[in-house]
Amino acid sequence: MDTPFFELRGIDKYFSRVIANKDVSFAINQGEVLALLGENGAGKSTCMKILYGLYRADNGHIYKNGKEIHISSPRDAMKHRISMIQQHFSLVYAHTVTENIILGAKHGSINWKQEHEQIRQLATSYGFHIDPTKKIRDLSVGEQQKVEILKALYLDAHLLIMDEPTAVLTPQETDSLMAFVRTFVGKGNSVIFITHKLAEVMQVADRIIIMRNGMVHGDVLRSTTNAKDLSNMMIGHELSVPNVDSVAEVQDEILRLEHVTLQAGKEVPSLEDLSFSVHAGEIFGIAGVSGNGQQELCDVLCGRSSVSQGNIFLDSADITHASIKHRIDLGLGYVPSDRQRFGMVMDMSLSENLMLRQSFDGHWTRYGFIRKKELDERMQELIDSFSVKAPGPEVVARSLSGGNQQKVIVAREVSGKSQVVIFDQPTRGLDLGAINHVHQTILAQRKEGKAILLISTELSEIFALSDRIAVLYKGKIQGVYPRGTLSTERIGLLMAGYREDATHER
Amino acid sequence: MKGKLRDILLINAVAVLLGLFVSGLMILLLKKNPLEAFGLLFTSMVRDRYTIGDIFVKATPLMFTALAFAFTYKANLFNIGAQGQFYIGALVAVSVSLRFPQKWALLLVLVLVVLSSGLWGAAIGYAKAKFKANEFLISMMSTYVALALMNYLLRTRLLETKGEYPQTDPLLESIWLPKLLAGTRLHVGFILAVVACLGIWVLLYKTALGFRIRAVGYNGEAAATSGINTGRIHIAAFFISGSLAGLAGFTEVNGVQHMLLQGFNPDIGSIGIGIAILANANPIGIIFASILFGALRVGGQIMGQRSQIPSSIIDLMQGFVMVFVIMGYFVRNELDRKRKIRKLLLEEGGVQ
Amino acid sequence: MINLLARALMMSTPLLYGSLSEVIAERTGMMVTAIEGIFLIGAWAGFVGAYQSGSLAIGILCAMGAGLMTAALYGWITIYLKQHQIVTGTAINILIAGVCSFLQRVIFGVPLVPLTVVQLKQIPIPLLHSIPFIGPILFKQNILFYLLFLLVPATYVVLYKTALGLAIRSAGENPEAVDVAGINVKRVRFLAVLFSGLMGGVAGAFYSIGYLGMFTTSIINGRGWIAFAICFLGNWNPIGALVGTIIFGLTEALAIFMQSSGGTFLPNELFIALPYILTIILTISRRSFNVPAKLGTPYEKEQ
Repeated sequence: MDTPFFELRGIDKYFSRVIANKDVSFAINQGEVLALLGENGAGKSTCMKILYGLYRADNGHIYKNGKEIHISSPRDAMKHRISMIQQHFSLVYAHTVTENIILGAKHGSINWKQEHEQIRQLATSYGFHIDPTKKIRDLSVGEQQKVEILKALYLDAHLLIMDEPTAVLTPQETDSLMAFVRTFVGKGNSVIFITHKLAEVMQVADRIIIMRNGMVHGDVLRSTTNAKDLSNMMIGHELSVPNVDSVAEVQDEILRLEHVTLQAGKEVPSLEDLSFSVHAGEIFGIAGVSGNGQQELCDVLCGRSSVSQGNIFLDSADITHASIKHRIDLGLGYVPSDRQRFGMVMDMSLSENLMLRQSFDGHWTRYGFIRKKELDERMQELIDSFSVKAPGPEVVARSLSGGNQQKVIVAREVSGKSQVVIFDQPTRGLDLGAINHVHQTILAQRKEGKAILLISTELSEIFALSDRIAVLYKGKIQGVYPRGTLSTERIGLLMAGYREDATHER
Repeated sequence: MKGKLRDILLINAVAVLLGLFVSGLMILLLKKNPLEAFGLLFTSMVRDRYTIGDIFVKATPLMFTALAFAFTYKANLFNIGAQGQFYIGALVAVSVSLRFPQKWALLLVLVLVVLSSGLWGAAIGYAKAKFKANEFLISMMSTYVALALMNYLLRTRLLETKGEYPQTDPLLESIWLPKLLAGTRLHVGFILAVVACLGIWVLLYKTALGFRIRAVGYNGEAAATSGINTGRIHIAAFFISGSLAGLAGFTEVNGVQHMLLQGFNPDIGSIGIGIAILANANPIGIIFASILFGALRVGGQIMGQRSQIPSSIIDLMQGFVMVFVIMGYFVRNELDRKRKIRKLLLEEGGVQ
Repeated sequence: MINLLARALMMSTPLLYGSLSEVIAERTGMMVTAIEGIFLIGAWAGFVGAYQSGSLAIGILCAMGAGLMTAALYGWITIYLKQHQIVTGTAINILIAGVCSFLQRVIFGVPLVPLTVVQLKQIPIPLLHSIPFIGPILFKQNILFYLLFLLVPATYVVLYKTALGLAIRSAGENPEAVDVAGINVKRVRFLAVLFSGLMGGVAGAFYSIGYLGMFTTSIINGRGWIAFAICFLGNWNPIGALVGTIIFGLTEALAIFMQSSGGTFLPNELFIALPYILTIILTISRRSFNVPAKLGTPYEKEQ
């Protein structure tokens, strides 16, 4: 058997709250595409960060071509021709493409003209069309990822590690990324893909390592396995697929947007002429690649941004210019995509987070003083009914796992007097158990007659839950489709901007 | 939680001792015996009623300025202008007291001090809310502006009738803050300060307004998304902070100095910050930390009187204590982190 | 008028030393809040060094050394111990005030007459200083001023045209990216802080041995903070710092002029307060800032 290109043996890694890696061992060969598969929190990113020198393993060894090597920093990793592209790009948004690529690779004085030219040539040699003088913040997410790849190519990487690279790409961009991977590997290089998407793995990987709870649970060749087996190895047991009732009868309209546009000055509008409505007892799904206006839509609905044109109605009340507080009072619930930043205060207790959106409400205060007992009792009720793994309402939100934090936020938003709840990427970063729980909650709310707006980049989620699906592309609605009328291919084209000619319900 | 409190007290105690130790080393440079000096210090501090009283007298304004910094700190704002707000409070206190030296006017002075220094502070909050201006810089600069204003007024409008020095006439006894303990300088202002600390504690942790202030401090974006008006919170926080610092001016003018002069308590603003740090911005901790620093000041004075050690020893002690306390934070974090990992390994070791 | 402008530029000198180095430091993400203390210890050490040795050059070296040590303490606590920058800076400023005052007493006791040194002389540059109008303003200054002619362009070039400058600018925007690129973020930040210790020391020394000729505990009186503010107002850019500094130097010179030319109907104190009022107005009115994205946050790296 050939000596593997790189090998990990017996890697352990502890953080202050969790054991991230336990006795992780596997190898990657030259010219191979290896997929590291597992749910969120399985430990995939951790062991790769150790390989890349961002973390130090507490135990274990790393080998290159059979010989042991020591990697204590990304610089060491780069010396061994290892490069890693992380989920959150390591890019300086205020700087140009060239400035980002040559960071750390040059010494002494810099001739910018020369550098730009060199980068331009490198990009074209791989078929990337990037202007090196552009600032990162002016590029699309797909282009930013290309810059990350260029960084690795610039440093002549032989092993490329990519952490969830397709999370931010359209299906078509994903295809072109896979094509690049094949070309790269064809030259004798290797790629490690970290992902939780079974479909991708079956599409492009040669070999698959399955991780769960920080340990390796499987090391198989793609040719010998299938999606179902992989899924079992990933989770360890079968999961119930959410059971959706047949199409609900159309009830009252709760949320309506009319010609909503969001435009800063003369710039390109981030939202353009959006008109749609969500009815009680319905799940309205909005699909689309991230960065096409989802955040702006949430901002405009929750009240963080003001529309430039158009109107928003909540149960026939015009809330276009209402304050955030007013909208909450009228029954607008919101589960934001970045929960740590917008959804909760990490350093406050669960009870305090429960009160976060209702501190003005007479419900929890008496003459300005907080009614702690009632608050704690209510929080405990929610902890119980939503199976949140938390010792009690007093604990700090930060001490909970991501999945449980999300459960708390979801519990807060659906159990208040909300009529409509907006879910933005509700299951991002959650393990399958938590994902399932959130989905069941959303369906339960639908049954109770709430209007649900579900915004997600995970197509499987959109397809599984939505009664109607709209596609958001560059701030415009590409069309609204009832359940069952869209295929993956069609939605992929819509997400990439291809408009269809057939008329659809609006 | 109890373990954490014990850690805080222990590490802070060590830091204070280290600070005093290093200061003692500096005393050696003066070719004096630090043990002697400190010994004298401790004996005189506890023997003499006047000295003990003075500890609390000195602690009073420190509690206010420390509260001022700590309060805005809870909202993730930095009010470095407590010194200036103190000057404004002192100015208003002395002007109104000179004008209305009757006993009933004491309440009026209090109210006007709170309003004026509160507004002076709120202006900073407004600049932050409306223009997103950097409150650190503005509050810093506002102190120098307040100082210039005070010096001007002392030279002109408020000048004593004698016209000799840039200071005001002494206040009539009727407008003095009543004494608490005969034979000392200890006055009602100390009670006021303690009440303020307790009141702020209640405000921060038991009321909805305090909740909103802390929420904004921890995570302004989440607070805003949840319907809290962060601009209003900023203004409110700075108003309260400013008026607290202004009250320090009130207690010093009406309780201790009974007049206003230049060079008046020039560093209680910055020491207040140090105390707030030491107490981790906790109003109850501030009471104790202020008393500690009050003791350091009194001690420094005694050292000056009895052992001819220059008054700058006070700054040295304060400075060293603060630096060691800050280093102590690091030690505490590390201990905490290692403890968590150890606990985790013990748990998992059993299961696997 | 010429005198006023010459004076303005002279008063700008220390502010420019301070603000240039603050720009570098803040670009890496560090607010050197100990700057007031660094200025002060520079003034003190500069005076002591010059007085004891009789040489102003030695004084300046001492000032740089003292500034360096203070900055090292600040940098160690904020970068390696990861403590809060505003809190640490405040503590150090208080400590340094005590140290300078105390050591002054230790070394010199209580002198009957204030101790003085002969200040830095003006060195007219041959030929150039005779040019009408600009001559006496630009070319009849002291050596520290002339060094700025090198320092300002050097800072600009390093920041925008070298690999080091790229690392500096990136460290304040996205330290993770810099780390991943194999550069030691903490070291870059620490070196930048040390640089501001050196420059701040020189700036402080200017006040004692370059201008006043003696040391008093209130000699700096917030000028370190003005240099700090200029970095903000100059948009974190050496040229902006230059412009900001000149404006402040003008204000300060104007204040001195007004005071010494016998009282006008405007009170002295107003002119003393002028630079600070100006800072407030400028801080409020400056709308768009290129704040380094990660300014003030310590770099946490999971190990």
